Amino acid sequence: MLKYILKKILAMIPMLLLISMIVFFGLQLTGVDPINFMVSPDVLSANAANVEALRDSLGLNDPVIVQYFHWLGKVVTGDLGYSFDGSSIAETIAVRLPYTFELAGWSLLLSAIIGVGIGILSAIRQNGIIDYVGRVLAVFGQAVPQFLVGIILIQILSIQLGWFPAGNRVSPGAASAFIDAVQHLFLPVLTLTIGMVAVLMRYARNTTLDVLNSDYIKTARSKGIPEWKVYLKHGFRNAMKPVLVIVLFRIPMLVGGSVVIESVFSYPGIGLTMTNAITSGDYPVVLITTLIIAAAMLICSFMVDVLNALLDPRVRLGE
Amino acid sequence: MESKELILEVKKLNTTFVSDKKETRIVKDVSFAVKRGTTLAVVGESGCSKSVTMNSIMRFLGRNAKVEAESIRFTAKRADGTAEPHQLEGIKNPNGAEMRALRGPQMSMVFQDPMSSLNPVYKVGDQVAEGLIQHTGISKKQAREQVLELFPRLGIPDPESRIDCYPHQFSGGMKQRVVIAIAMICNPELIICDEPTTALDVTIQAQIMELLKKLQVENGKSIILITHNMGLVAEMADEVCVMYMGRVVEFGSLEDIFDHPSHPYTKALLRSVPVLGLADGQKLETIPGITPNPADLKPGCEFADRCAECTERCRGANIPAYEIAPGHRVRCVQFDHFPEVD
Amino acid sequence: MENQVTGIKERNKSASASLLKKNIRKFLNNRLAMVGLVVIIVMVAACVAGALMGVDYNTPDLSNMKAGPSGEHLFGTDTIGRDLFARVLYGGCYSILIGVLCAVLSNVIGAALGAVAGYFGGKVDKLLVRVSEIFQAFPQLVLVMMIVAIMNQRGLGNLLFIFVITGWMTTFRMVRNEYLSLKNETYVKVCEAFGMSNRRIMFGQILPNVMSPIIVSTTTNVAFFILQEAALSFIGLGVADSTPTWGNILNAAKSVAVVTNQWWIWVFPGLAITLFVLAINFFGDGLRDVLDAKQQ
Repeated sequence: MLKYILKKILAMIPMLLLISMIVFFGLQLTGVDPINFMVSPDVLSANAANVEALRDSLGLNDPVIVQYFHWLGKVVTGDLGYSFDGSSIAETIAVRLPYTFELAGWSLLLSAIIGVGIGILSAIRQNGIIDYVGRVLAVFGQAVPQFLVGIILIQILSIQLGWFPAGNRVSPGAASAFIDAVQHLFLPVLTLTIGMVAVLMRYARNTTLDVLNSDYIKTARSKGIPEWKVYLKHGFRNAMKPVLVIVLFRIPMLVGGSVVIESVFSYPGIGLTMTNAITSGDYPVVLITTLIIAAAMLICSFMVDVLNALLDPRVRLGE
Repeated sequence: MESKELILEVKKLNTTFVSDKKETRIVKDVSFAVKRGTTLAVVGESGCSKSVTMNSIMRFLGRNAKVEAESIRFTAKRADGTAEPHQLEGIKNPNGAEMRALRGPQMSMVFQDPMSSLNPVYKVGDQVAEGLIQHTGISKKQAREQVLELFPRLGIPDPESRIDCYPHQFSGGMKQRVVIAIAMICNPELIICDEPTTALDVTIQAQIMELLKKLQVENGKSIILITHNMGLVAEMADEVCVMYMGRVVEFGSLEDIFDHPSHPYTKALLRSVPVLGLADGQKLETIPGITPNPADLKPGCEFADRCAECTERCRGANIPAYEIAPGHRVRCVQFDHFPEVD
Repeated sequence: MENQVTGIKERNKSASASLLKKNIRKFLNNRLAMVGLVVIIVMVAACVAGALMGVDYNTPDLSNMKAGPSGEHLFGTDTIGRDLFARVLYGGCYSILIGVLCAVLSNVIGAALGAVAGYFGGKVDKLLVRVSEIFQAFPQLVLVMMIVAIMNQRGLGNLLFIFVITGWMTTFRMVRNEYLSLKNETYVKVCEAFGMSNRRIMFGQILPNVMSPIIVSTTTNVAFFILQEAALSFIGLGVADSTPTWGNILNAAKSVAVVTNQWWIWVFPGLAITLFVLAINFFGDGLRDVLDAKQQ
């Protein structure tokens, strides 16, 4: 098992390198002067005369490949460079990344519980009321653009009723950091959750149906054990694996969604940082945010593999 | 024949499936009986509702199935030897307490495909013990002891280590032995085997059949064997029930069916079995045509379209069964000079 | 012999004709799918008719800025006084065009690559799977945004290109898996034994068996790309502002003032997207029910 995990971790490294290369060289094509990646603009303008010398000493006149490794070396050691407005990217990320984790994490947790729960219930009582209502909601949840859901929620819960702030993450001078966080997170989390629940519900329902139609459920019934045991012990345990995988597989969708939702709620996370950077052509920031998101995705798919292995005796026992 | 000797007696069983608000009757007026301590073989081509019939009796069908019968009487034997009859047709909830109390200690089922009949995420020993713990309430440890005792009897070697294996570590034949162990662990009187060897290769087939025969002879079990293999029937059965398109077309003792096959379908089935010493140039026959779709059946005898002996009367509305010898029933108008039976 | 062959051919033909008839009947009986189809037809017809009649979507009515729905402006006017009804009609043309074109192109590419990877296997397969994995390492929207950043230009053509090259992976995987299992079927072996060329086996023999899921995924992808375009335009990275799309119209709703005071600016285009996507999904589900061989 340990060997399996190690193997998976090692496999991630070339993937990350490849992605960083693609992003780096891709952004080179835009023709933006990469000196801004490494030196604060203040320093740059103060020493305009020495720029050429600086370029030489920094290796910017070297071939692109050499520059890439130079940059990579810095990123690995934690020096993420500077944004066009002069701020340290590392500092910005340190503040904003946790915000996005909060947003995505809570949405994932809530939507997994709600979506999978409704999905399983509607599979057990197929064509029952929960199943019917769930399916209608799923259809609408997938048809309304997520940002529109956000706008509608802002309109009703924030503007009309005034229950929640319409944007941002922290209010200055809030009495309790916890209540402040709940207030600011509620609407964006709700928006993302609605979209995810719609998708997860459908998957969870179909997976559970598949499992409940399988032969070993009949075997379980032939033992004369009560129905709740049939569902919980034999049904749920087997449906869990594909459902968990689906939940984790949906994380990219969640992150993609949170990029848009952060924009709707002007929620200062990584997604909004990236959006703004692209609009303003702030390439160092685009580079780093893209890499962070790609790395997060790789870690997620790594977790999918490990969880899969833990839940399946065939993989766990290394066969 | 006293009813005490019959472990299972089914009268006019009808199973209807509802889909898209359309009802299709799959099992039609099926009647048969199983004597205690004997084997009944249910034979017929694929898709003739053999499995559905048995699943109707065990009540394993989904919500879209409606099971009705004049009577399904299952007679269990108490420890003191007196009979304890159960009327299964009156039980409303297919997975309710009444049905569950029977499944395992009284009647159990061995399914067709051992590959998918075992839950992949639990150890085989735990899966076998589960039913035992449920019905006797003994401890996990005691149950384990009993499983360890049962495994060698079913030809599973090295039970101490095998009991903690997962299903994927077993071969198909071994898996089927585990499925049989699950069916046997509560010592039921009636075991329904739904094509228990179809998914296995030939040598393993013979081993499994031998095992079932041994269990029956040594422990006095009653077995219902669903199969389309006439060879197995000849080896295993005491009585035979021939089904076609959801109906029992012929029912009788092994001798009745093999020595005096009377329904054209039974004859055709027997002619299509390869026999050792088939004369040179003698062709193995096939039954022309395929089984029709149950949704678009015409009235009259279901076999009429494929039958060589078909007459105008076969297309008539109702064809009853005729008793042509004691206990030998045939559903064919050729025999209308014999007394009608249900 | 000759007779028998033609007999079989004719029987096959009539069998497939009756299967088609049966499928069409089954589809007509699926009420939701029919409603979906009708809505799709009506909306496409309205948008195309609007564009052909040359409704004026671009000239601001300066005396009527931010006006609510009225007889003159059916859906009201936007922040600079342009008629929203005309913009929604015109935007529909672009949005639907983007959705359909991207769905068709990305599915064609995905299916072709999937067929090659699944049928030939080996190194080609490994390479293509690796490439698709790299693409899938990103959330699709982030990938799109990254390429928007690289291209540094916001035109309709660019957007189509970006959507297509980021949207082929799911079809690729599905078709590849189908080919992997189908290439071991006896009928493929028979074709190989006849010496049929790889191309004819791949596209003439196997492809028809994979067509149903491809058609269904193309249909549902239309909805996906329309939503994707709307999201991208909403955050301001879609097609240039001068081209009205449903997403671009909704971009105005980024301002809280518009959300609060001019509901018609975001409600009507929002409704248009929702309705169209809903209709496509119903239609797609109906198609799936009809075409899915497993259910027959």
